[in-house]
Formats: sequence, structure tokens, C-alpha cells
Amino acid sequence: MLKMNNINKVYQTEMVQTHALRDFNLQVDEGEFIAVTGPSGSGKTTFLNIAGMLEPFNEGQYLLDGIDVGKLNDNQRADLRNQKIGFIFQGFNLIPDLNLYENIEVPLRYRGIKAAERKRRIEQCLEQVGLASRAKHLPQQLSGGQQQRVAIARALAGEPRFLLADEPTGNLDSLMARQVMELLEQINRDGATIVMVTHDPELARRAPRNIQVVDGQLADLTLYQGTQNLKAAGV
Amino acid sequence: MFLHYLDLSWRSFKRTPLVSFLMVLAIAIGIGVTMTSLSVYHMMSADPIPEKSSQLYSVQLQIMDDGSTWWTKDNLPLQLTYQDAVNLNKADAGGKRVTMVRTGFSVYLDSDKIKPFIGQARLTTPDFFDMFNLSFLYGGVWSEQQEANAAPVVVISKELNDKLFAGENSIGKIIYLDDASYEVVGVIDDWDITTKYYDLNNGSFNKTEQLFLPFSLMKARQLENWGNTNGWKHEKTNTFNDKLNSELVWLQFWVELKTPEEKQAYQDFLMAYMQEQQKLGRFNRKQLEAKLRDVNEWMQYNNVVSEDNEILVGLSFMFLAVCLANILGLLLAKFLRRASEVGVRRALGASKRQIFYQHIVEVAMLGFLGGILGIILAQVGLLGVRQSYSYYKSLATMDLSMLLSAPVIAISTCVIAGLYPAWLVCKTNPAIYLKSQ
Repeated sequence: MLKMNNINKVYQTEMVQTHALRDFNLQVDEGEFIAVTGPSGSGKTTFLNIAGMLEPFNEGQYLLDGIDVGKLNDNQRADLRNQKIGFIFQGFNLIPDLNLYENIEVPLRYRGIKAAERKRRIEQCLEQVGLASRAKHLPQQLSGGQQQRVAIARALAGEPRFLLADEPTGNLDSLMARQVMELLEQINRDGATIVMVTHDPELARRAPRNIQVVDGQLADLTLYQGTQNLKAAGV
Repeated sequence: MFLHYLDLSWRSFKRTPLVSFLMVLAIAIGIGVTMTSLSVYHMMSADPIPEKSSQLYSVQLQIMDDGSTWWTKDNLPLQLTYQDAVNLNKADAGGKRVTMVRTGFSVYLDSDKIKPFIGQARLTTPDFFDMFNLSFLYGGVWSEQQEANAAPVVVISKELNDKLFAGENSIGKIIYLDDASYEVVGVIDDWDITTKYYDLNNGSFNKTEQLFLPFSLMKARQLENWGNTNGWKHEKTNTFNDKLNSELVWLQFWVELKTPEEKQAYQDFLMAYMQEQQKLGRFNRKQLEAKLRDVNEWMQYNNVVSEDNEILVGLSFMFLAVCLANILGLLLAKFLRRASEVGVRRALGASKRQIFYQHIVEVAMLGFLGGILGIILAQVGLLGVRQSYSYYKSLATMDLSMLLSAPVIAISTCVIAGLYPAWLVCKTNPAIYLKSQ
């Protein structure tokens, strides 16, 4: 599904050169649910942005469903992103002027789906996240948990095979976080591949596969967890 | 998608109503000023008789002896002498042709209901009406015989007929011009031409005449020329006949030539005529010269649209550019504030091109609204011009082509101003805004 070979990403300013990702290698298979953890500034979000084709990379090869992303132009990347990838953000990123129905409609419009089909999908997704009766509400009229469910519904409406979630529960209390996590698990069971960046160890443990990003590289999971345990024990 | 972009544009307008209104107002003021000056310029330079302007030619002859100069750019006099005008009219060459001169009378009726007033008149040969596409409400033009006999007949304008005879059929009625009576033989319909192209001597945009009489009356009744009379050498012109036989120029002469072959033939005829006249002792010069200019060439040659008007139009466009520069700044601020939303749209599958189009549609909508408001402002401006100067009454108007071009100019200039802000917002890196939102 996703294969990254020796991906390097460097942020260059006049004074400083920062290696956000360094020889980053990862393979994600169809139907996996992966939690990505790691300290702040380790490159988790950069990885997610590159995976979602929101940022270019400097070196390496990124294959999404066998397509070499590095060889695509902006329009082709936008099409591929629209058709295969759904995003869920920590800050929800709903468009405040649009009601829930219209927010979910955004990716479908860019895909050129007809109005009747859009309606069917939106109603189905709103039903799935339990907000069917709030279709005409504006985002600011909802709680944080509800807004995140709308964001999930928006990600699902395009029927993506690949969901990228950047700390999807970061702004939610524990009850709402659990509900959102259950929703993601359900979506994964329905067949979507999910890559979720999180700081929450409890959420990470619920994912079948965990990876850590440290200093822009994939770190050994066991070693990382051992270090964390030693820190917790005060050693 | 276009309708969706329009919907988004309208929502954006409503989200920041004050800034959006300021932009529309800035466009409207720019368009209002530009369209006011452009409309006047357009009406001034418009072809007054498009259906046959390329077939009607004003005739110029180089009558001056070698060594004499005229003030025109090619040194040719603008009008003809009486003898040339009459000779050319009599000659069997060319199509329809008109010899004419401006005059005027004190007009009154055998009644105390109408006070005497000064009426502008034109002494002309009969082809005038057909050549310049005038139509008759009542009656028609005088006959060739009446022309030859200097018959006291007159064709009047609809406006004069309304004034003297309450718009009724006045054929056969008598009006008095100075101290002589004339029989009305025709009433022409309204003749709305913006430029008085057939005689540009006394104001290119003056009203057309109210009275039209046989040209032969001029000699028969020694009627005065109310137009321009110019000379290039000292001549004794103590009597009316002296003037008729002089080298003074004071008559307009037009000929209708339908094909390039006819034009060439007439050009050859003019040269032959001048050579013949040379033998009679006139045109003491080595190089003979005759010129035919069609209506548009004639207007251009006479600088109907002055350089001042062109400068004014240029300045108004510069003012529009200043308005657009302000709009550009406001658009930049408005669009860049929306970068986070653009980031979300990009993440959800919008290409840079789609983001660019969305913002261009928004700019075009602002341009359209500004264009509509600008038309209203331009109408106010034109009303002001009309009320300030009666001279501009028929010129300070906005015809359909100007009405349609106002929103087109507004939209296209706004789109040009919006290119940079739209490009800037579409190339923002979405990743930056997705995390920080």
C-alpha cells in the first residue's frame, strides 16, 4: 500500500539546516492500523505530510499503491490524494463557514462526484458518525468530539483506502477520545488502512502495529519502549 | 464547479462585508470615472454613418500657387472655392455629389403665435438627403428643376416642424426666412448624428441644421455664408460676384464612390480637371494635388477627437490603475488570511489550479459588482457633463457597447489585479497551516 525507501527531508533556512527525515524506510500493507509515536520534533508530522503528499521530499522514493509519487505533478498528486487518502487532524480543520453537510462535501466536489451521489455518501457518513440530525449545523455549534467525528466523516466520504490521522484525539477528553478511537477501529475493520500519529501511549497500544520516529528515523520499538520504562522507573 | 466557486465567493463577500464593499466601491469609482471619459471619447470617435462611411468622400483640391502654405498637416485647404464646387457638381463624373454651405435666417410665420428666431440652415444640392441617409416624415426633396431655378422651397427638420406646425404635415405651407417666403416641400425625420462630419468647420459636435434649401438660392439671393471663409492670397472681394469668382474657399463638397475603381476614376477626373483649370491660369504650381478622404479619414484629418480627450481617457485609466493597486493590497490581505482554509482544501484534494480558479472567480465577482455600481456612477458623471455643457448633450451618453464593456473592463482589470494574490495563496504550503489551525 505505502512504501518509503530512504526518504530524506531537509528544512533549509539561511542559518540552519534541519533534517526532519533521514533515510526513512517504511512499508505499510493494505488493511494495517499503525500508530506512530515519538518525541516532539522527531519528524512524525513531516512523515505524515509526506505520506499525504502535502509536502515534497528531497531524496528517496515513495510508492503509494505502486505509483511513484515523486514523479507526479501537483494536479496528479491532488487527484491521487483526493481519491486514496483521507485526513484527520488534531485541530479538526473544519471550514467554519460551511455547515456539516457542506464540510463533508468539499473533497467530493473536488473529485467531481455528481450531486445525488454526494448526498448519498454524506448522509451515510453522517449516519456512521452519529450526526445525521446535525447536517445543517455549523462546526462551532458542536463539541470538540462531535467536530472530530465530522472530520472523520469528511475523511470517510471519499471512501479512501488510506487514512492519515495526526493526533486525532489530541484535543479531546478521554471519553470522547475513546469514542473516536473506537470509530477508527471500526473503519479499519471495514477495510481502510490507517496511520495514526499520537502522543497517547494508551491509544498507541490499541493499534496492532506501533512504530516510533526518533530524530527523523524509524527507531527500534523494543529499545524505545525499554528506554521509556527505565525513565518511568526513575533509573 | 464555477457555480460552486461563485457560491464560495458570495460567502466570502458576506464574511468580510466591509472590506468587500470597499473593494467594490474602489472598482466602481475607477470604472465610473473611466467609463465617463471613455463613453464621451467613444461617442466622439464613433462612425456617424457606418453603413456607407467608406463610400462618402470629402474632396480637397490644392488650389494654392507654389510657395503658399495652409495650416493643415498636408498643406491642403479644407474647403473648395465656389467655382470649383460648382464645376465639380456640374461635371459628369462620380456618383451622387453634394455642394453645400452653411447659412442662417430669421425664421417666422405669418402668425403671431411664433416669435421670430434664428434658424440654422444649409444650402445644398438635392443629393444631400440621399447621400447622408436622411429619411422624410412628409414630402421629399426639391426637384432638379427647382434646384436649377433657385425655387423658394425648403425642407425642415422634425424639430422645427414640431415647433412651427405642432408636428402636423406642413407640406405646402409657407415659412418666412428673413424677408422672403418659402414653401415647405419636405420634413425630415430626426437626424441624430454625434459628429457633424459633413461640415466640421464650426464645431464638430454642433447640432445639425433645421432648414435645408436649394444651393442655387445662394447666388440668386446672394445669401451669406455662416461658416468659414478662408483665403491664401490678396484678392478684391468687394461684391458678391467677386467672392464667387475668387480663390476664397468656403464650400464643402462630397461625392459618393461605391468601389475602389470608382474612387480611382474620380481621382483621375480631379487631376484632369485641375490640369484643365491650370490652362485657364489657375493652380500655378508644379505638382497638382487632389485628395479624397472618406468619412472616418476626414474626421481623423480634422482632429475631431482632440489630443486632450485622448489624454483624459489615458488619465482615467491611470486612475483606474490606482484603484486596482488598492484593491490588490486588500485582496492580498483578504486571501492570505484564508491560507489555513486553503490548506484544508488542498489536503482534501484541491489542486493549486482549483484554488487559483476559486480565487479568480471571487475577484471576477467583485469586478462584476464593481462594474455594475461603476455604470451607475458613470451615468451620474455623464449626467453632470450633459448638464454642465450643452455641447456634450449628444456625446455624454453611454451606448449599448459601452454599457456592456463596463463590466467586461471591470472584471478583466480586477482579474489582472487578482492574479498575484490568487497565485500567492494557491502556492502556500498547506502543511504549515494544517498543524497550526
